[in-house]
Amino acid sequence: MKFVGIVGSNAEKSYNRKLLHFIKTKYQDLFELEIVEIKDIPMFNQSNDQTHSEPIQKINKAILDADGVIIATPEHNHTIPSGLKSVLEWLSFNIHPFDGKPVMIVGASYFNQGSSRAQLHLRQILDAPGVNAIVMPGNEFLLGKVKEAFDSNDQLKDANTVKFLGSVLEKFTKFVSLVNRLEAPKEEPLPKEDLHATNAIDTTIADVDMAAEDWVEQAAKKVNAVEGNTYVKLNRGILTVDQINTFLASMPMELTFADENNQFLYYNYTKEAADMLADRVPGQVGNPLVLCHPERSLGSVEWVIQQLRSGKQDAVRVNVPTHGPDKFVVHNYQAMRDEEGNYKGINEYILDFKPIVDWYLKQTGLKLEGEIDAGSGASAKDHGVDAGSGATAKG
Amino acid sequence: MNHFIGLVGTNSDKSTNRQLLQFMKQHFSEKATIEIVEIKDLPLFNKPEDKTLPPLVKEVADKIEQADGVIISTPEYDHAVPASLMSALNWLSYGIYPFVDKPVMITGASYGTLGSSRAQAHLRHMLDSPELKARIMPSSEFLLNHSLQSFDEENNLKDLEKTEELSNLFDDFLVFVNIVNQLVHAHGSNKKAAANFSWENQ
Ligand SMILES: Cc1cc2nc3c(=O)[nH]c(=O)nc-3n(C[C@H](O)[C@H](O)[C@H](O)COP(=O)(O)O)c2cc1C
Ligand SMILES: Cc1cc2nc3c(=O)[nH]c(=O)nc-3n(C[C@H](O)[C@H](O)[C@H](O)COP(=O)(O)O)c2cc1C
Repeated sequence: MKFVGIVGSNAEKSYNRKLLHFIKTKYQDLFELEIVEIKDIPMFNQSNDQTHSEPIQKINKAILDADGVIIATPEHNHTIPSGLKSVLEWLSFNIHPFDGKPVMIVGASYFNQGSSRAQLHLRQILDAPGVNAIVMPGNEFLLGKVKEAFDSNDQLKDANTVKFLGSVLEKFTKFVSLVNRLEAPKEEPLPKEDLHATNAIDTTIADVDMAAEDWVEQAAKKVNAVEGNTYVKLNRGILTVDQINTFLASMPMELTFADENNQFLYYNYTKEAADMLADRVPGQVGNPLVLCHPERSLGSVEWVIQQLRSGKQDAVRVNVPTHGPDKFVVHNYQAMRDEEGNYKGINEYILDFKPIVDWYLKQTGLKLEGEIDAGSGASAKDHGVDAGSGATAKG
Repeated sequence: MNHFIGLVGTNSDKSTNRQLLQFMKQHFSEKATIEIVEIKDLPLFNKPEDKTLPPLVKEVADKIEQADGVIISTPEYDHAVPASLMSALNWLSYGIYPFVDKPVMITGASYGTLGSSRAQAHLRHMLDSPELKARIMPSSEFLLNHSLQSFDEENNLKDLEKTEELSNLFDDFLVFVNIVNQLVHAHGSNKKAAANFSWENQ
């Protein structure tokens, strides 16, 4: 986590500055702290807007980029210093970086009250609508009699104080996670997927019934598709169509290609449906994806494509445990993209990981520990992308 | 006749609080003289170690010292007193103590409906700290809400009821000033207490 620590004093010497530097080094395992000074920020003036000046923009950006803010405030005249108030006024006038930001208040003062009144005021100010910070409730850290509090190495002397401060800061990190989850912008729903493949793309072969059993033959005729010993130039190499077929057939996995129009265009046909990990039949090729899946799993199919098309995930993996304990079959939905990063469809490869893991264990002499939990590890489980919902032959 | 300082609680060029003080100056000219004092040219307080005060701070302090009372009119920024007024009060209690035992009347104007109530409470709190220790008129509050719409072209308060409320408060303030100025016995020692009070020595 990344926090900003604001030194609430613009004076040359400040115990509150010392306190923040102590926090920064002592608790660096809990969070990263960037300490910002306010002494270059001019007096707020409504009729001389300096929002765009460098020092104000600098602190604005630091706060916007941080997960949370710690303010260390002195106490002057029973309230916060005017210099700190001035900063808060700039940051609530035409810009509002504190909006929804988790804030923790600490304070040091010469007196034994330890800036209690200033902290109380600061809470009220941070709660004003123009500021709208989210201040951690309770958990005051007041450092009174500050002149005696530090040793010559600028470390807090009292072990209990150090322990208490650590516990408050730890609570703050939890508070920050909580608030940032609450304040996270609501996600826009991703656009619907057209599983009927009605939005033809450049490569869609027009005027052939996608549902036809002999779609491959009809479509091949339509575009004069090459085959057999004809050479095809690839990146990088030259193979005949037969060689490409041999090559793909030898892949130790079931490969499927669906384009960005959600049309099923290809699979490496080597086995009949009954012998496959996920059954496909030759007549299925050309189908829109809606025809490749049972009705009940269309929701998950759409979810997977949305993840890949939007780039939220590059790959979705689902373990399908229905093959018994001797296999660990995983459906891998891998987004395909062109050189510009445009979504070009799904490379679905279905693979039994078990032989790979066994080989690895044998080679290394390592052993697995613990029980095998059939349903575990399916990252997409929550979305119902579960056993059998992959592309399967219908009927 | 009493002589008062009307302290404008903002550094803004346009201010309805300044307007309010100007209205009071003119409206109560039979009852007291009010000298309007600005804070807008005071620098931001930065607790200089050598405790030297800007000349302007001393000037304002002298004026307050010599006045029979101070009327402070405060805007409300972020539910509190504006930084510019806070800064002025920081200076005016940094090794000098012009506010000790000084009768103070607080007024305030804001654009919204609450009329700076929270800023006024905040200001009372500040004026009550040991190095300011003003004598704030108790149980009184003058809140001017919707202040942008409150004045006519001649800078008169449009609302007659509000004007009467302000007049009554001002009369009370005159009495209050009288009473405070009779409580002079303790004044010398209060001043000393403030001067001896040092946060450094706590
Ligand atoms: C004008 C002025 C007013 C002060 N008022 C208070 C006060 O009301 N309460 C308090 O605890 N300390 C007060 N102090 C002393 C502070 O304890 C001290 O300046 C500050 O909180 C220590 O923090 P720092 O070293 O970061 O400045 C005041 C100091 C000055 C210069
Ligand atoms: C940074 C900033 C914060 C403000 N916060 C408040 C506020 O918390 N409450 C309120 O009533 N008005 C607020 N205002 C508007 C004030 O009502 C208005 O500026 C002021 O009180 C009117 O006084 P003036 O005309 O003397 O400047 C704010 C204005 C600024 C510039």
